[in-house]
Amino acid sequence: MLLRAESLATTQAIAAALAGVARPGDLIVLAGEMGAGKTAFAQGFGRALGIDEAITSPTFTLVHSYPIPNSKHTLHHADLYRLDTTGDVEELALHELAEFGGIVLIEWGDVAAAAIGDHLEVRLEHPDDDDHDDEAGDHDGGDDDHDVDEDEVDEFGLDGARLITLEPTGPGWAGRWDRLATVMESFRC
Amino acid sequence: MLILGIESATEQVGVAVGGHEGVIATFEVTRGRRHAEILTPAIEFVLRNADVDVSEIGCVAVDIGPGLFTGMRVGIAAAKAMAQALRIPMIGITSLDLLAFPSRHTDRVVVPVIDARKSEVFWAMYRQVPGGVQQVSTPTVGPVDELVADLLARSQEALLVGDGAERYRDEILDGYRCEIDAPVHPSPGALVQLAHAKALREEWVRPNEIEPIYLRAPDAQINWATREQRA
Repeated sequence: MLLRAESLATTQAIAAALAGVARPGDLIVLAGEMGAGKTAFAQGFGRALGIDEAITSPTFTLVHSYPIPNSKHTLHHADLYRLDTTGDVEELALHELAEFGGIVLIEWGDVAAAAIGDHLEVRLEHPDDDDHDDEAGDHDGGDDDHDVDEDEVDEFGLDGARLITLEPTGPGWAGRWDRLATVMESFRC
Repeated sequence: MLILGIESATEQVGVAVGGHEGVIATFEVTRGRRHAEILTPAIEFVLRNADVDVSEIGCVAVDIGPGLFTGMRVGIAAAKAMAQALRIPMIGITSLDLLAFPSRHTDRVVVPVIDARKSEVFWAMYRQVPGGVQQVSTPTVGPVDELVADLLARSQEALLVGDGAERYRDEILDGYRCEIDAPVHPSPGALVQLAHAKALREEWVRPNEIEPIYLRAPDAQINWATREQRA
């Protein structure tokens, strides 16, 4: 599912809409370059669940946990950026956090997708950044006149437009996909 | 000398205390999965009701897994903290040993099977020996069909125990004819009994030598093309 946000506020509105459909047991991977808005997405997501506490990047603590008000559930916000091996990722036992009443958001989770298991991937990209994920580095022809320099990727403003792709792995989201499509209707490209 | 046993490697959290007179008090909660919240009050409750002063404890025994990573860490951390503070030794026993021990009187192969999540199980095989059971296959983690293949390869009369056997009962019985029975969870009482036998032989260790058994898939380096580029 491909979505477009024109501003940070819209990115967070998309996060809030996703939070409305998410449920305990979900693992949600937040993918995208440095500065793509992964933590901002988590903030919009948490606020929609009624979490007042400031949601900050868990890069150095690995996992932050926030009780979800008026429920027995917990939002866990993880960041794999400092980890080096899939064993490190497994030791976090993110699926256990999900299984026991947790919704787990995992920044940089795409690098260790196999160690995470079934999940929903949310990929945040700058609209001009289409071919940066292409490992081969091949520019795909003449119609890309922006030609963004690799080193400038960090410098696009946080409050900018984003392309957001939602992609499920495993059967967990199949039953909710239509509902998700409905709540995301106004953001579809 | 009394032994305090702490067991939290599965959905159950349990505490027991005992010694040469056997297990004198035990406490188990199998529902709710609030290991961190339950464990310390449970230790206090068991000691108080058994009329045991903390100074009478000579050794802390703990279940070192395999099992729930989040669960067993709570128990191992609490057990180490108590042993450090009381300056007493520790005994670590695997959850598989604990599950097999109550079935020590059967002449079948005893196979404890623990739910490893993500459609996998931990298992090992045990045989009766005088005074207990002995492991005859090394602990393994894998999908349920690998367990069934292992059982078929050995083709022996088997008794399966543990929450993994319970959860995948139908799948296992479809593949191999065997009996699946209690216990579902390792018991803190068995932990104290097994630890007592080891304590008599002075088979204890220092707290820093106790490590959890994770038994996970082979480790691999994360492909950090993105991060290295930034560094």
